[in-house]
Formats: sequence, C-alpha cells, structure tokens
Amino acid sequence: MILSKLKEVWICLKAGRVTLSYPFKPALAPDGFRGKPEIEQDKCVGCGGCANVCPSRAIVITDLNSDWRRIDFYLERCTYCGRCEEVCPENAITMTQEYETATDSKEDLHMSVEVYMGTCGRCGRCFTPKHPLDKLMTTGLRGQ
Amino acid sequence: MLTGKQLIEDLHCRFAKEISRSEEETPGKVFITIKPKALIPLADYVINTCGFRFLVNVGSDEVHLNGHYVISFIFSLDKEKLFLCVRVPVDPAEPFIDSITPLISGANWAEREVRDMIGVHPKNHPDPRRLILADDWPDGVYPLRKDFPYNHRPASQIENRVKLAPPPQGAKVVPIGPFFPVLEEPAYFKVFVEGEKIVGCDYRGFYSHRGIEKMGDDVLTYNQICFIAERICGICGFTHSTCYCEAVEEAAQIEVPARAHHIRTILLELERIHSHLLWLGIAGHIIGFDTVLMQSWRIREPVMWLCEQMTGNRKTYGMNLIGGVRRDIPKAMHPKMNETLDHMEKELKALVDAVLGDSSLHARLKNVGVITKKEALDKCVVGPVARGSGVNIDSRRDHPYAAYDKLSFEVPVHEEGGCWSRTLVRLEELFEAIKIVRQALRDMPDGEIMGHVEEIPPNKEAVVVVEAPRGEAVHYILTGSENRPYRWKVRAPTYPNLQSVPSMIENEEIADIPIAIGSLDPCFSCTERMVVVDHKTDKKGLNGQDLLRLSRDKTERIRKKNYRDNHHV
Repeated sequence: MILSKLKEVWICLKAGRVTLSYPFKPALAPDGFRGKPEIEQDKCVGCGGCANVCPSRAIVITDLNSDWRRIDFYLERCTYCGRCEEVCPENAITMTQEYETATDSKEDLHMSVEVYMGTCGRCGRCFTPKHPLDKLMTTGLRGQ
Repeated sequence: MLTGKQLIEDLHCRFAKEISRSEEETPGKVFITIKPKALIPLADYVINTCGFRFLVNVGSDEVHLNGHYVISFIFSLDKEKLFLCVRVPVDPAEPFIDSITPLISGANWAEREVRDMIGVHPKNHPDPRRLILADDWPDGVYPLRKDFPYNHRPASQIENRVKLAPPPQGAKVVPIGPFFPVLEEPAYFKVFVEGEKIVGCDYRGFYSHRGIEKMGDDVLTYNQICFIAERICGICGFTHSTCYCEAVEEAAQIEVPARAHHIRTILLELERIHSHLLWLGIAGHIIGFDTVLMQSWRIREPVMWLCEQMTGNRKTYGMNLIGGVRRDIPKAMHPKMNETLDHMEKELKALVDAVLGDSSLHARLKNVGVITKKEALDKCVVGPVARGSGVNIDSRRDHPYAAYDKLSFEVPVHEEGGCWSRTLVRLEELFEAIKIVRQALRDMPDGEIMGHVEEIPPNKEAVVVVEAPRGEAVHYILTGSENRPYRWKVRAPTYPNLQSVPSMIENEEIADIPIAIGSLDPCFSCTERMVVVDHKTDKKGLNGQDLLRLSRDKTERIRKKNYRDNHHV
C-alpha cells in the first residue's frame, strides 16, 4: 500500500515536466504529415479526379461555360485524408505540414482554381485536353 | 468439430421445408434463407442447442431486388470459427416478424433498430419503444427504406417523445445525462434509487445518430466509405475502416497482399495500446486518481506520435482502401518503432506495478459493477467486458482477419466480472498488444501493399468482425451496382455492452455509477446542502456532518475488508 504510493511518487518525479511550450515555441509536424492541401494552379488540367474521390465532398467542380472550369476547395469540410494528392495525375496537389488552420473568416479556408479546357465537339461541355500537345497549347491561357 | 457444411446439413435435416437457400461461399460463413415462421424454432435451436452467440440483425429493404424486406440474423459459434447468417424475407404488405428477444435479451436493441429504420415490427417484443429515431421523428417514416431520399427532412412531430419508465413504488429518480460531464457523448440514464441504493434504471440514447449507413448506401462510393467508417469512432476508428474494407474484400473476393495485412495488424494493435491507455487514464480520473490519468496519458503520447509518423495523422490514419493500405512502413522506421515500444513497455510495467497495488484503486474497483457470466452471455456483451466476466471470446483468435492467423498471442480472461477484472483484462491486453506489434514487424513479408481491384460484383454478402479495443465491431455488406454498397450495416462494440448497464448498476450505490459505466464524472450536489429523507418512515435523517461521517466510516470498512481479502485474514 504505502509502497505503491512511493512508486507512484517516483514515477511522477522521474517523468518531470513533459508538456511542450507550444505555441510559444513552434511545434513542427513530422514528415509525411497530412496538413492543409496546397494547389498549384499552373499544373491543374481540370480532370476532376480529386473531386471524384473526395470523401467529404470538399472539392466541387463547376463548368462556367464551354471553355472554363472552376474547381473550388472548401477546406472547412476537408478531412485531410490526402486522397486528392494521391490521385492527381499532374501532382498539382500537395499536403503540406501546415496545421494551424483556425481562423475567424470562412473565406480563408476557400481556394479556387480556374482552368481553360477544351470543348467537347459533341455535347459542347468542358473537356480535358487529352493529348500532351493540346495541353502545351493551352498552358499560356491557364490561370488568366 | 462442426464445419459449415455439416451445419447446413444439420439445419436441412431439421428444418428442410423451411430453408429455401443455403450457401457457404467463404469457408466458415454460412448464409441461409428461411421462411418467417421457422425463425423462432431455428433461433432456439442454434442458440440453446448449438451454442451460437447472437451478434446483430440487419434489416435491409430489398424490394427492388426480390420484392421483400430482408431481416438477417447474424450468429457466431466462436469455438468452431463459424458464422451463421439467417436471412428472413418479410412481405412488405405485412411487415411483421417474430421477436427473438424473449429467447436472447441481447437482441433487444437490434430488433427495435430494425423496426425504427426499416419498419418491420417485432411481434411479442418485451420493450417495443422507439430506440434510434429522434423524439420528434414522425411515425411511419422509415429512413433506411430505399424510397426515402437521403437528404429528406420530414416535418417534426413532437408528441412522439419516448416515454421512459416511471420509478418503482417508493423509489426516487436521479437523472444522469443527457449531457455528460466526462464523456463527450450524450446519453440519458434515468436511475431509480432508494436512498443511496440503485433499484433500477431506464435508458434513452442515440442522440447523436448520424445516418452514416444511409450515406454509405445512397451517396458515397466504396473507397470513400473507408474514410467515413474511420469516423464512426474517435478512438477505434481504424478498426471500423479495417472491418469495412475486409467485408467488401470478402464479398468481392479481392486478394489483399500479406504485407498490407501485416500493416493493418500493426496499426490495429497500436490503436488498442493507445485506446487502453486512454481508458486507464479516464478510469483513474473518474475515481479521482489523477496521477493515473497524467502518467498513462504521458506514456500514451509517444504511441500517438509514432502513428503520426507512420500514417500522416495521430488518430484518423486514413490508411485503408479496398484492396490494401495506402502507405508502407519502410524498413528504416522499424528501429524507431521497436525503440518506442521498448521504452513504453518499460514505463508501462512500472506504472502498472505501482497502481495495481494501490489500495484506493482496489476500494473503488473491486466488486463494483459486477456482470455475472450468465448475464454476460444473455446480453451478448463483447470485448474486455465479456472477458472480464469469464466469457472467453476474442475475434482476433476466433475469427482471424488481417494477419492474426499468423501471429501468436494470449487472450487474458478473468472470472470475477467487476470493474477490477475488466481493468486487469485491459492491462494484460496492453502487454499482449506490444508483443503482437513486435511479431508483426519482425515477420512482415515483402511485396505490394495494394492488391488488384476490379469492378465489385453486385449482390454479394459478407460479414466480418474485427476486435476493437472495446470489443468486436461487426460490419455487414451487401454489394450494390453503382460502385457503392446496397446495404452496409455497422454494429459497434458498445451497442451490446451498453445494454448490460441496467443490470450492472442494480444494487450498487449512486457513487459507483460513474466508474461502473466507466465514463462519468461524479458531479453531484454539494453534500453539505443535501438532506436525505428516509422514504419509508418519512423522517428527516442526516445533515452534512452525518453524511461525511457515514462516508468516512464506509471508506474505512472497505479498506479493512480489502486488507482482509488481500492478506487472507
């Protein structure tokens, strides 16, 4: 009885203070951590794969007209699973180490990308340029 | 030794006319379809003669497939590694089915759930009140029927409020909940007391029912459900995503690489380690012993960091997909993992050694919240609660999944059935879990981590159980055609365990409810201002000083009794 109390005291004393002094000192997330996603507008080809796999439907695709496609990222819905990063054929999405996403404005958690697309000759809707040459031709127009 | 084939033959001999279909596609998993009138005799036979254990029943609206609502009763015979899934088609024009709750009281909630969600009413059910649906949900609207849109919000009908039982003659009501001071989940226990003694209890819960199954059946795709399954539980989430993935893989006969199985096993056991350490801390906190909380959570933290490094997040790992896992555990990480485990094991040994001898823990945990073996079997409790009552079940050993069939480990079982034996089971499991992680790391085969996945065929069924830290989780899948399940049913381990609370706390004292339920902070009114009235004589009895004296006397009595027990005086 008294022995186990003594053991407990010893465990506590030996451990000492273990808490980190965050936020006064920064605490870095480890490599491979899935933090706030970052999107490189210039790489996006508008294929919509990210929106297709997103479990929380944080990524929404809107075809503005027959040439322009907008991809919205609503990060307040994001669960940081990183599936969009995994499926992106152009590696346009990267999960960063950033985890301090608390904010008082919802707008801070919204990103959007507009992509110039080819138009489908049949239905007239946005259509991903398939051929690398087509892609090269549209590069200069993207992000305007 | 009973095989699935023998079971089918045996059932055919006895109920030949009533069985319309029987099959065993995966060894050990028997699916039979019977006529409704054979349900009671068949359930009676498999439970009372063969010794099957009831897991759950699944209601599914298969009107578009075969014109019926189908209720599947799932049983398990653990010692023979067998599952029996009894499908009972019910005519939509006459949505009634015989209740098996009089046979096995563990079926109580599951049958009420089917009534709430699908609208097949159990006949002769002893307690047919509403269970899952909200208090203001309209009558006759059944959300899991296929003609109910997932985003429909019916008009509120406030008069449908569930009526809780009145207190027995002479007893008073102590409301516990619906807002919990410790556990961040709502549930309401209406506890009936005579003085300090609990004489009964009624329960209303499911306030946080989120309709996840409906999302899975109507909105998400196979690979998206892995992530929502992980969010069913904040602590044992990986268990649910593994259970879901294994169920789909079994239904679609997808071969998962051995390396992925090992990675799943390692993560499942790391999850068990941090969950049991979390529980130990909270249990300590509930009984006012915060040293246990501080130290067990300190030991737990390196495990969380390790998981963060391995998976990219400290809790919701997001590792599972149908067919395998998303990230490998590279060789370079093994030394670091082994080092963390060694260090943790050493610290854990010291802590367990210290607290197990502590008399205040003995006083608060021994002979409190006892569930006898008979009750445990009747209520179909699972996990450490069952193993703490002498029921030797553990799905890691009985129905191996992931890589557990290749690993060797012990299953700790204690007979006493109280809070103390459940604590012992969990502490011993911690050391077993460390052993399993080491083995799985050592024996990890090389190769791929993701199997080849093709189109998932429709109308295939599978049942998989996975041993979560709290007990077994059950996932049932009926595959559908639009890249999503037709029916996905989840039974979490607390579902059966919570049903045993009323009998567990009966004849205990109010102060033992928190630790008996395992997650409640004893935050009662100040004793100094309380007046106790003896309801039998109606005489004002005690003031604050008297209560303090009584309480100290009782503590002294318990201390002496434990001392006598420990030293066999």
